[in-house]
Amino acid sequence: MTLSKASILLLVGVPTAFLVAFFILPFVLVLLESFRGETGALSLAQYTKALGEAYYWETLYFTFRISLWVSLIAFIVGYHLAYFILRVVRRRALRRLIYIVVVTPLFTSNIVRSFGWIVLLGRRGLINQTLVGLGIVETPVALLYGEFSIVLGLSYIMLPFMVLTVASVLQNIDRSLEDAARDLGSGAWSAFWRVTFPLSLPGVIAGSLIVFTLSVSAYVTPSILSGGRQTVMSMLIYQQYGALLNFPFGAALSVVLLVTTLALVLAYLGVLDRAQRTA
Amino acid sequence: MALSERVGRIALAALAWVVVLYLLLPLLVIIGTSVTGTAYLRFPPEGFTLAWYAKFLGDSSYLESLWLSAVLAVSATAIAMMLGVPLALALAREMIPGARAISALFLSPLVLPPIVIGAALLQYASALGFARTFLALLVGHTVLVIPYIVRTTTASLSGFNRSLEEASRDLGATGVETFFLVTLPLIKPGLIAGSLFAVIMSWINVELSMFNTTASLMPIPVKLFNYIQYNVDPTIAAVSAATIYVAVLVVVALDLLIGIDKVATTTS
Repeated sequence: MTLSKASILLLVGVPTAFLVAFFILPFVLVLLESFRGETGALSLAQYTKALGEAYYWETLYFTFRISLWVSLIAFIVGYHLAYFILRVVRRRALRRLIYIVVVTPLFTSNIVRSFGWIVLLGRRGLINQTLVGLGIVETPVALLYGEFSIVLGLSYIMLPFMVLTVASVLQNIDRSLEDAARDLGSGAWSAFWRVTFPLSLPGVIAGSLIVFTLSVSAYVTPSILSGGRQTVMSMLIYQQYGALLNFPFGAALSVVLLVTTLALVLAYLGVLDRAQRTA
Repeated sequence: MALSERVGRIALAALAWVVVLYLLLPLLVIIGTSVTGTAYLRFPPEGFTLAWYAKFLGDSSYLESLWLSAVLAVSATAIAMMLGVPLALALAREMIPGARAISALFLSPLVLPPIVIGAALLQYASALGFARTFLALLVGHTVLVIPYIVRTTTASLSGFNRSLEEASRDLGATGVETFFLVTLPLIKPGLIAGSLFAVIMSWINVELSMFNTTASLMPIPVKLFNYIQYNVDPTIAAVSAATIYVAVLVVVALDLLIGIDKVATTTS
């Protein structure tokens, strides 16, 4: 079945026009806005402010630092669970049950999930009760409202993305490759590291990129779990747009966040590419 | 099997179950807290009461927010399907110049920070005079969910046997008839999965919505977010728990309709 030229134009043109109108143009407007000075004239004032003050650099650094921790934790924990689901669990019913447990948090708002951690990590929360009850600590520890709770909460939010991305790659890797390595005398651990893990790298790369970019721009979880004591870039952007109505500066901060994230992603892919070529 | 290997296997399984528990814990805590007899958040709950649910169901502002979120999620998904399905079909079938760029464009809302999309939309809508209206929320959510529709439709079409459509045409069906009688039934599982994902991603969104809300136009996640920053009590736990029940229902529906293991590894 071939479509006529006119209908192709309609089928492709209308959706594309929609995205241009409500997605591309708003971004162009943000970009233009970020080059507006106090008086409305074209200027780099917003950028000299965003890049000239140590506070904004520190916030940017803090945002990237927690995102790296989250990516690392999500990778270790998520890979483990994905491997378990596909290579250890044999019954499909059990596998489906675990997938339900993985997907349900993904289908629940970040607010609700972060709220769960507030209840768990509070001074009278389950974790402190358990720690005190077991005699590990004498008085409740401050677990909430710091880097620890942000990283823990964000890792929790991001874990399903990593599990699902790694699982979708792992399920296409032929099990018999690992079995062959075993038959040739390789131990389970080295068969995994030399055969399965390298083949699953595309999933690890895709998963860590998703987790990293989502963490860098996360707003809800850091603002709930920081208790206002720590600031990430998205909180600054929302302040400028939502509270202070300073669109030009909010726009400049958005552009800084987008550009630095993109630069880090490209650097990561470049390093991987080089590592692959020398390997 | 060597002893060390058996120990390793047991450790692998034990740790995996710990992770499963970690995934469940915050959700169980909220559900538990929502029935506590105490006036403050408490887990494990003390006593049992449905009073917090009664309180939230008696508060019309929560019901309005839930209704707004539901209408928003369903209409954004419907529009995204009307735009995304034909697009994916045309891109999969025809040699269209710039097809790769177009499909990249339609997937890009997935990787751009929703908070920046929200800010951009607020600014754009302000310039055009529809900021903080249902329309602003609707177009924003449509942009947000369209990648899920395009991606699952494209995936469903990749293993598609086109001779079935040709047979239908040879037997005298029109193009439109062929689409509804042949193509649509074959790609239906993918469309169901994609649209349920889309509905849920709109239903739970805060970052994009919060720029374009007002006191009387507030989707439920934004309302929860505003509330949690000032005050937490078991009513909030009851509202939160209600959104978890919706998530569980959708996940179970996906499992029964298509099989969650298939959805999980193709949609993500």
